[in-house]
Amino acid sequence: MNFERLLIGGGTLVVFLLIWELCADFGAINPLFISSSSRIAQAGAALVADPDFWNDVRVSAREFILGYVAAIVIGVPLGLLMGTSRRLSYIVAPFVDTLNAVPRVTLLPLLIIWFGIGIWSKVAVVFLGAVIPIVISALSGVKTNEARFLTMARSFSASRIKIFASIILPGMVPFIFTGLKYAAGRALLGVVVGELYASTAGLGHMIAEAGNMFQTDTLFFGVLIFTATGLVVVALLDQLERRFERWRPSVGAAT
Amino acid sequence: MKRLYLAHERAILGAGGVVLFLVLWEGFERGWWAELLQPLLGPEAARFQLKPIFISSPTRIARMAFDMFFVTGAIWKDLGWSNLEFALGVALAFAIGIPLGLAAGWYRRFNYAVEPFLAALNATPQVAFLPLLILWVGTGLASRVLIIVLLAVLPIAISALAAVRTVDARLVRVARSFSSGDALLFRSIILPSAVPFLLAGARLAVGRGMIGIVVGEIYGSSAGIGAMINQAGSRFETDKVFVGVLTIAAAGVALVELIRRIERRVDVWRSQVAA
Repeated sequence: MNFERLLIGGGTLVVFLLIWELCADFGAINPLFISSSSRIAQAGAALVADPDFWNDVRVSAREFILGYVAAIVIGVPLGLLMGTSRRLSYIVAPFVDTLNAVPRVTLLPLLIIWFGIGIWSKVAVVFLGAVIPIVISALSGVKTNEARFLTMARSFSASRIKIFASIILPGMVPFIFTGLKYAAGRALLGVVVGELYASTAGLGHMIAEAGNMFQTDTLFFGVLIFTATGLVVVALLDQLERRFERWRPSVGAAT
Repeated sequence: MKRLYLAHERAILGAGGVVLFLVLWEGFERGWWAELLQPLLGPEAARFQLKPIFISSPTRIARMAFDMFFVTGAIWKDLGWSNLEFALGVALAFAIGIPLGLAAGWYRRFNYAVEPFLAALNATPQVAFLPLLILWVGTGLASRVLIIVLLAVLPIAISALAAVRTVDARLVRVARSFSSGDALLFRSIILPSAVPFLLAGARLAVGRGMIGIVVGEIYGSSAGIGAMINQAGSRFETDKVFVGVLTIAAAGVALVELIRRIERRVDVWRSQVAA
């Protein structure tokens, strides 16, 4: 069953790469346009030895990490506060909803007027992209707490802190992680768009330059790095979530 | 009085917050706060007046919006282009995503084959393909439509797949035991039960499509709302940038609301069947 899945999935992938390679090698399609797996591998090997490339990686990583961490540090408590204080949520909700409706990348021209074309405009767009899903998921995490648990804790006269630490916070975890995973995608999108739009360094910048100079192999390698980053971040978050969720008794069919 | 407040607490607090924000904003641009703090801070207070090119102000934005929509009408041409891109892109995304998702949900082996590609595309910020698309088809309409397709197709395909997966197996068995063919089964069971999923997917796709419009136009295009925002930004016409941003926000809210309405309709039909 699982073997079949691996075989068919892997097989299709290999065939796809092979056809791609052959199309380029035998000139069916100009490799300038589509590159090929071997060319991408070569370009990758050359880039890994190039210090400029590592500079791009550092810049992009810094933008991603600063923006994403700031979004977590602000988004989780804000969502929590909105979930616990009805009044605060009435005041803040219109702003969150409005921001949620705008694709945050639209704000890039403004952010560049405000923060310049250095890394801070990208940090800002990454932050804005990531913070909204985090706030919304933290908020719905508080809102959907089992009312029965709360009632029970209250009737045993648990303190607010105790209720928070032992019911609300653990109940929020799956929601927060869903938000974090979604936000990671948004954050990566922010890095790419910010750097495509206006920048002097970074992987998005590298991709844009490669596109302008018809270096399709470098371009693909850059895209692959983003793919890998997306996969790694989500895998890490999954791992972390499992650690936090170990106490939870499994419901339904065992997997 | 208090009763009135409590009855409309949400609206009052919400509107109060927004009004306060707008007044603060307007005050920064007009120098209200600078004047107010003058006796306290002396010359330092000038800091509390910000340049219009930096933050614009609600009244400036409103005036600019009025101009662009009703006086010069300059925005309509850009809106037209963006609408065209969006309509083409989302339509194509549906045309590709629905059959792909349904097939992947129905045929296990086909799913195994496309799974790695979908997963990879899902993990990639799809906008990274934009320079490649431009290299292939130029900076014209085609690349902008394609980036929208690329962004919007995944949520549609994934929701179609999920829809097929969660079809009530009993219904399928009943249909089969009454010797229903695949076509009939598909038309009368799979498709109707897929509708709510597809609508949820559509809601996501609309948001992604909006990103696609903006990104495609901001990056090397001369027509459309995104391009308008880009040009205004590079000329420091901040009010114009805000008009563009708010227009896109309004369009997004309207579209999502429309889909929500349709979703509710569909739900009504569903509960009637159940009851």
